[in-house]
Amino acid sequence: MKARPADRIFFGFSFGSAALIMVILAAVALFLIIRAMPAIVANWQTNSLLTTGPTAGFSSFWAYVGPLLFGTLWVSLIALIIGAPIAIGIALFISHYAPRRLAGILGYLVDLLAAVPSIVFGLWGIIVIRPLLLPLTQWLNDHLGFIPLFAGQASNTGSTILAGSVVLAVMILPIISSISREIFLQTPRLHEEAALALGATRWEMIRMAVLPYARSGVVSATLLGLGRALGETMAIALIISPSIGVSFKILTDGSNAQTIAANLALNFPESNDLQRSALIGSGLMLFVVSLAVNFIARWIVSRSTPGRPKRQRKDGRSAVPSNATSRVDAVALGGASVSGALEGEYE
Amino acid sequence: MKFKNAAVVGAVALTAALALAGCSATSTPSASTTPTADAGVTYKVDPTLTGTLTAGGSSAQANAQTAWTAAFKAQATGVTINYDKSQGSGGGVTNWLAGSYDFAGTDSSLNPTQVTSAQTTCGAGGGLDIPAYLSGVAIIYNLAGVSNLKLSSATIASIFELKITTWNDPAIAADNAGVTLPATPITVVTRSDGSGTTANFTKYLKDTQPSIFTQANGTAWPVPGTSGQQGGAGVVNTVTAGAGTIGYADNSSIGSVTAAQVQVGTSKKFVAYSQTGATNAFEAAATAAPTGTGDLSETLDYSKITNTDSYPIPLLSYVVACTTFKDAAQAKLTKAYLSFILSDVGQKVASVNAGSAPLPTSILKEAVKSLALIK
Repeated sequence: MKARPADRIFFGFSFGSAALIMVILAAVALFLIIRAMPAIVANWQTNSLLTTGPTAGFSSFWAYVGPLLFGTLWVSLIALIIGAPIAIGIALFISHYAPRRLAGILGYLVDLLAAVPSIVFGLWGIIVIRPLLLPLTQWLNDHLGFIPLFAGQASNTGSTILAGSVVLAVMILPIISSISREIFLQTPRLHEEAALALGATRWEMIRMAVLPYARSGVVSATLLGLGRALGETMAIALIISPSIGVSFKILTDGSNAQTIAANLALNFPESNDLQRSALIGSGLMLFVVSLAVNFIARWIVSRSTPGRPKRQRKDGRSAVPSNATSRVDAVALGGASVSGALEGEYE
Repeated sequence: MKFKNAAVVGAVALTAALALAGCSATSTPSASTTPTADAGVTYKVDPTLTGTLTAGGSSAQANAQTAWTAAFKAQATGVTINYDKSQGSGGGVTNWLAGSYDFAGTDSSLNPTQVTSAQTTCGAGGGLDIPAYLSGVAIIYNLAGVSNLKLSSATIASIFELKITTWNDPAIAADNAGVTLPATPITVVTRSDGSGTTANFTKYLKDTQPSIFTQANGTAWPVPGTSGQQGGAGVVNTVTAGAGTIGYADNSSIGSVTAAQVQVGTSKKFVAYSQTGATNAFEAAATAAPTGTGDLSETLDYSKITNTDSYPIPLLSYVVACTTFKDAAQAKLTKAYLSFILSDVGQKVASVNAGSAPLPTSILKEAVKSLALIK
């Protein structure tokens, strides 16, 4: 069949857009590598441009970036531990517990949270969250100080990893909760009703029908949240008092790990050329880690849905691609036949 | 606010400065330090100037640049001046060397590498470092019940090196006879971002107390274990909000926080910051260290600040510009703007609106000669 001009133009436009994203990504990677190279190959012990300022006291590029990489992952991890359960709780409440009208308002409010600029979160963190967490910081340090996490000289100013992570947790709430909500809502009605018909309570129904169905989707939502947390800059730069090093302490002023993005923002303006190149190198590492997180997310998703790489049809409600598939744990529902019947219904 | 030598200010500049003072948030400006008109450097802005100046760099002098820009534009309405403070000193100099800035603001004068590359950018004459902004590094603190703290340079160095950790330490008590000091732990608040304030302050610590302050001086705070905050405002906010906190900041941005009196030289005398104090300190300590003809790079010799009319920790920031511009119109415009900055009126506009200290007349007169080299 001969393609009509409109078809060809639309194909060209669509293909061009897809190709452009690859070009942009490659260009960013290339820029990072080229600009980072001088610092990666430089001698950090003797080069006078590197022995002063932000890069002073590090023996090599890797000795500088290593602790920063750790700090980035560490702060994001704590934010995820605080934020993800709350986000999933919000999503479940909106999708399965809240009355329809309240669910609508709540969902709207959560999405609104995503529209708050990160500098505003940072200022909110400094002015509100820092003093708010001081008593908790002191209490944790006094009573649970034997745990390395809560050890050290408790902060007097509140510029702790704890404060930074709490603000970061709030910032990743919208992305995790709105994606999870969409996925929970896509749980086939028949699965839920089958579970209820078998005598399950509402919580058991959620555990048996909703959560297994949504598992891979929730994992990818969480990893998208992690991606958001890894790159967060201004709020962290404003709140956390940094010192570049590997430290698990979250209640101190003086021995907090530092994240790559915040370190970049804080030190870029006053740095010389080679220091800038070192900072861009740390950005390259962040780029690599973010890519890795994405790959891991996809790998988890593909592993949890064996033999089903096909695409999920969207029903128009979902603004984001859902990776959930209509798989129900047969054992949980009490019989392979039920599961088979349900699947047949929805394929 | 009052001008003592309103005659040289001119009606337009006066209006502009007044208008600026109205919306400025800086601490109690004082015009009492103005040099007398007859001995000073006057400059008349040509109202027919047109064009756009692109500049950027040091954020320390950003408030002053804003004040200068507004006052200059009030007289030469056809001129646009963009000063980008987000670049910082490092970015400012880099962009200037790349030829994208007409001038840059920087907290440290050009280093030898930059002097060499300036000759590529500007021709054989190279670039000119000219002091433009003078203030002081204030030692700010928040300690309940203590409002009149005095600190010797040795005590300051020990506190910021984290060798003294409680407020009732004998060293602090020795500086403050008769004051009851609480046993509150000291929280040292510093800058987490690279900063000219840090560079000036660590230089002071390093020069006056090399045996106590053993870390390298520079734009990044070198001692690990302090509470690092972003920007001068971050330090001021955290010191204000905390208990037993101490930090350092450009005096023009400290607002209502209490600042300590600092020991003068090796004497037993302590002085609080004043604009006159910073001007006198610069006059006493500045030693010319030119990198070329007309260059006004200065090294501050802190040991020369011995008189109680001087504040011991001055903060200095420069403007750098080419001697030879590629475009004669840009040269004329840059020269006009810098001449305005480095005149009595310009210095007063900054002192009233940005809280800076006026540069001494002697250096302004040097600057006139240097600016004459720009073509």
